[in-house]
Amino acid sequence: MASLQAEFTKGLWKTIAPFRLVLGLCPVLAVTTSGINGMGMGLATTFVLIFSNLFVSLLRRFIPTQVRIASFIVIIASFVVIVELVMQAYFYQLFKVLGIFIPLIVVNCIILGRAEAFASKNTPIMSLADGLGIGLGFTISLFILGLIRELLGAGTLLDTPVMWASFEPFSFMLKPPGAFVALGILLAFMNLITQLQAQKGGGR
Amino acid sequence: MRDIIRMVVVLTLICAASGLTLSVIYRVTEAPIDYQTIKFVKEPAVKKVLTGYDNDPILDRKKIVIGTDERGAPIELTIFPAKRQGETFAVAIEGRGKGFHGTIGVMVGVSKEGKLTDIGITSHSETPGIGSKVTEPTFTIQFQGLPITGELKVDGISGATYSSKGVMSAVREALGYVAKFREEMF
Repeated sequence: MASLQAEFTKGLWKTIAPFRLVLGLCPVLAVTTSGINGMGMGLATTFVLIFSNLFVSLLRRFIPTQVRIASFIVIIASFVVIVELVMQAYFYQLFKVLGIFIPLIVVNCIILGRAEAFASKNTPIMSLADGLGIGLGFTISLFILGLIRELLGAGTLLDTPVMWASFEPFSFMLKPPGAFVALGILLAFMNLITQLQAQKGGGR
Repeated sequence: MRDIIRMVVVLTLICAASGLTLSVIYRVTEAPIDYQTIKFVKEPAVKKVLTGYDNDPILDRKKIVIGTDERGAPIELTIFPAKRQGETFAVAIEGRGKGFHGTIGVMVGVSKEGKLTDIGITSHSETPGIGSKVTEPTFTIQFQGLPITGELKVDGISGATYSSKGVMSAVREALGYVAKFREEMF
C-alpha cells in the first residue's frame, strides 16, 4: 500500500489535475480572471473533494456497486449545496463572481473521478490525503493561472497595481481565449521542467 | 430480489441523510444570506430611492405578511421606512415584473403624499446593452414624482419594450402593495 505522504503529494505535481490530466477545465478557464477568484473556486472545490472522498470511502462497503454512481453524486451534490449556502452567507461578493460555477462543481469530473477511482477502493485516511492533495493542486493551479491573467489582463496582483504607469493591460487575457493561451503556456513550461528533470536523472 | 431491496434502501438512506443535513444548513445560513443580499443588493437601491431621512432604513426595516402561498406559508414583504424625527415620510418596497429574460426586481420609493420618489433596479437578467438600459437614469428618472394612483405615464425604451414593460409591471406590483397595506407602511 502506498504511503500517506505519497498519496498527498501526487496531487501537487505528478498528477496535478488541470495541468497533467487536463481535467476539470471548465472552471479552470472560466473563473480564473483574477488570483482571488481562482483561489476561491479552488478552495470550494477542495472542500467538496475532501468531504466527498471521506464519505464515499466510509460508505464504500455499504453502497451496492450498481447504484454507486448515483450515491456518489448525491454525496457530492450535498456538499456542493453546503458550499454554495455558506459562501452566499459569508463571502457574498465571491459568490456573485463565481456564480453558476459553484453549482457546477457537482459535475466536475475530478471529484467524481477521485470518488470512483480512489475513495471507493481505499481507506478513509488515505482518501482524505488524496482529496486534500488533489484539491490543493487544483487550487494552486487556479491561483497561478488567475495571477498570470490578472497581471497581464488588468496589471494588478491581488487587486494591487504592480505594473509601471504606462503599462497597457491586455484585456484579451481576461477573456476566454486568453485563458486558453495562458493555460497552454503554463503547460509548455511544466513539460519543459519535466524534460529537464528527466535529462538530469539520466535520460529516463 | 435482495439486491434490489438493498439498492433501494441504501439510496433512500443516503438521500434522506443528505436532505436532513441540507435543511439544517439552510436554517443556519438563512439569516446571514438575508443580511448579505440586503447589504449588497437592496441597500444601494434603497439609498437611491429614498432621500432626506435621518434614520437607517436598512436597520429599521420591517416585514409584513401580504398573503399565503399554495402550501399556506406566509409571503412576506420587506418595507424600508425613511423617517425624519421618528416619523415615516416615505417607504421603499420591492416589486417584481416579468422582463424579456426572467424577473426584474425594482425597488420603489413612495412618499406619504402618494407620489413615487424614485425607482432603482435591484436585479435583472435583460440583454446587456439593450434591455439593460432600463437600469439607466434616463429611464428611471421618468418615474420621479408620478402619482401612485392612475396610469404610469412613462416612455418605454425603443428596442427594449419587454424590459420597459417588465419594470412598469414591477412598479405596479409595488404600488398595489401600497394601496392594499398603506396603514401598515406609514
